[in-house]
Amino acid sequence: MLFIHQTTCISPQQTFPEKDINLEYLYESSDNKLKARDPGYENIPANQLRKMGKSVRLGMGAALPLIPKDPKGIIIGTANAGMEESIEFMKQIIDHNEGILSPGTFVQSTPNTIASQISLYSGNKGYNITHVHAGMAFENALLDTAMLIKENPLNTYLVGGVDEIGTKNHNIDRLQSWYKKELVSNIHLYEADSPGSIAGEGAAMFLVNGNKTNAMARFKALTTLYSEDEDIVAGRMQWFLDDQLRTGENIDLLLTGENGDDRLLKFFSACESIMDNETTVARFKHMCGEYPTASSFALWIACQVLTNQALPQHMIKKGSIKKEYKNLLIYNNYKGMQHSFMLVSKIS
Amino acid sequence: MSKVFVTGIGMISAIGNTLGENRTSLLQGICGITKTKNLPSRHSGILPFGEIFIDTQTLKEKWKVTDEGVTRTMLLALHASQEAIQDARLSHSQLIANDTALVNATTVGGICLMDEFFRDVNKESNGSPYLSSYEMASVTRYLRSLYKINGIVNTINTACSSSANAIMYGARLIRNGLASRVIAGGVDSLSKFTINGFNSLHLLSTEICTPFDANRKGLNLGEAAAFLILENEEELKGKKLYAELTGYGNSNDAFHPSSLSREGDGPYLAMGGALASAGLDKKEIGFINAHGTGTENNDEVESRAMLRLFGDPPPFSSTKSNTGHTLGASGAIEAAYSILNLTHQEIYAGLHFKQPIPGTGLRPVTTTQRISLQHTMSNSFGFGGNCTSLIFSKA
Repeated sequence: MLFIHQTTCISPQQTFPEKDINLEYLYESSDNKLKARDPGYENIPANQLRKMGKSVRLGMGAALPLIPKDPKGIIIGTANAGMEESIEFMKQIIDHNEGILSPGTFVQSTPNTIASQISLYSGNKGYNITHVHAGMAFENALLDTAMLIKENPLNTYLVGGVDEIGTKNHNIDRLQSWYKKELVSNIHLYEADSPGSIAGEGAAMFLVNGNKTNAMARFKALTTLYSEDEDIVAGRMQWFLDDQLRTGENIDLLLTGENGDDRLLKFFSACESIMDNETTVARFKHMCGEYPTASSFALWIACQVLTNQALPQHMIKKGSIKKEYKNLLIYNNYKGMQHSFMLVSKIS
Repeated sequence: MSKVFVTGIGMISAIGNTLGENRTSLLQGICGITKTKNLPSRHSGILPFGEIFIDTQTLKEKWKVTDEGVTRTMLLALHASQEAIQDARLSHSQLIANDTALVNATTVGGICLMDEFFRDVNKESNGSPYLSSYEMASVTRYLRSLYKINGIVNTINTACSSSANAIMYGARLIRNGLASRVIAGGVDSLSKFTINGFNSLHLLSTEICTPFDANRKGLNLGEAAAFLILENEEELKGKKLYAELTGYGNSNDAFHPSSLSREGDGPYLAMGGALASAGLDKKEIGFINAHGTGTENNDEVESRAMLRLFGDPPPFSSTKSNTGHTLGASGAIEAAYSILNLTHQEIYAGLHFKQPIPGTGLRPVTTTQRISLQHTMSNSFGFGGNCTSLIFSKA
């Protein structure tokens, strides 16, 4: 589908800037939240930085190192960007009884602010779009980008996933019991025998095109489905592997979005059970927490594993550290309904 | 790449509850913008709006919806998508097939229930039945589960160009072989949130909007939903064809978060990109359904961009003078009107225009007339500089 040439990631772990990446050390959650580690944002003028909501800040911060490559379009997946600003504006409406209001938060309340701010900052007049379909927002952004590359084989694009923990919108998911009631550290996330996960956030950006030369990873294929039935989900995974892997090829690493929610374990068990003993199973949500576009963090991790041929011990659920990682399968699950499989491979 | 045809249309707006009613209103020059008193807002009765005069409870009863968490936005989307699906005669087995996709757009989503949302945001426990209805994807999730869609499902939000991008994304899914048929469109209902937002920017006119008029005073918000059924050329056996979707262009103006650049680079590039993708010369466009919101900034910039690209622009007008600006639905509503122009070989009078903008001198079409048309263009521009143009061609 496409080749990944450069990536950046601002997350709750030490992932930014590139020279300081350290995936072995695990930063701990506090109050059931894994908050992104804000870097210094040296390239964004202070007066602009102050006006930015968190999603825009994370997205801009992650995108800026990739902008000099002059991508022909900006494709962002985000479920919740602007939600915090929306709530701030609602408060103004209510407090002032629909009187004279300041428009700043309203203008920033629309989720396309991340993509449009990146384009405004870099003077990019190319293709620009924002996909907001919850747990499939980043997957649709990737699919869009894959189509763009097929349509324009010589172009390079910037594609990313961004979401934030809003101080208030977090409450809507909490009321629906998507977060744990008891205090759980990310270090012990998978041991908890209870519903819900811990909240997370971050921004991961990818510079992609159709050119294999000097690429860090190959994004081979993507499939998405909607189901509450684990057998249907595992069946899709089997179909996907049969469709994509050639005889003799194997998945070296299955990277899953297991998130400590005991209601969702059945999906991960079903998917793991169709892998053979050759496949190591690893998890990533104790690093980034749960959020709709967490699959963008997983794809960033996959690129790290493929380029460095190394996997931190704390990620491993089953199997062992391998000598070589060629084919990685990412399985993510959002709220037990939206599922995605992404196949990423080493450049041969 | 496969050609993309429009085989079904469904819509509801301030000027009609069906495609047919909308066309009748357009032919009769009906303006659906009124100083309503029904909206739960202080501005109700003072500012004019393009409101749909069917209350939420009546819509629920009409569609036999009993689920408590269903919002007005979901119901308008249900209403319009049902008409589109029936119009294209999609069978149940087609709806649930892996190659049927659903692409929806909205900017308001569940924030049509602003007061409920704000209460839930601040609650310790016992949330309302609407908890899962607030996110942007909620309307699409609702339609997906109703129709049991198994193909690609997406929600797009690029502000006021959202549903033009949804239609473009749907067409590209077909051209790339990722879907054989797509339900694509958008929806927004009037909300205290957007009313106060646009009002805080001084973009709402206290009078009925006058697109492209020298003395225009701003836009009127409206509510609507519209969906197109897009199908690839192999699917067409014996079907009624409204039009072919032949071109699309998407570009960012990269100038300002809430206004367009003086020369209109974004609109110019979007219209030019659509022409290039359709392989058409600018002289071949017979009519433009302009974005034409009635704001000082948009209408002047859009005029300048049309002059820059076309030299002598083709006939154009803005149907926002009939419906108001329906935000996330406007791209799909106006795509549907551009298709009606082609299928019936007619163009509709832009309303409330008196004098051209000094410096551009452009006059929108002000009389409804029969006209020979091969290709029409529909423009949608949004906050954040997100500009998209679509081109439809006679099937």
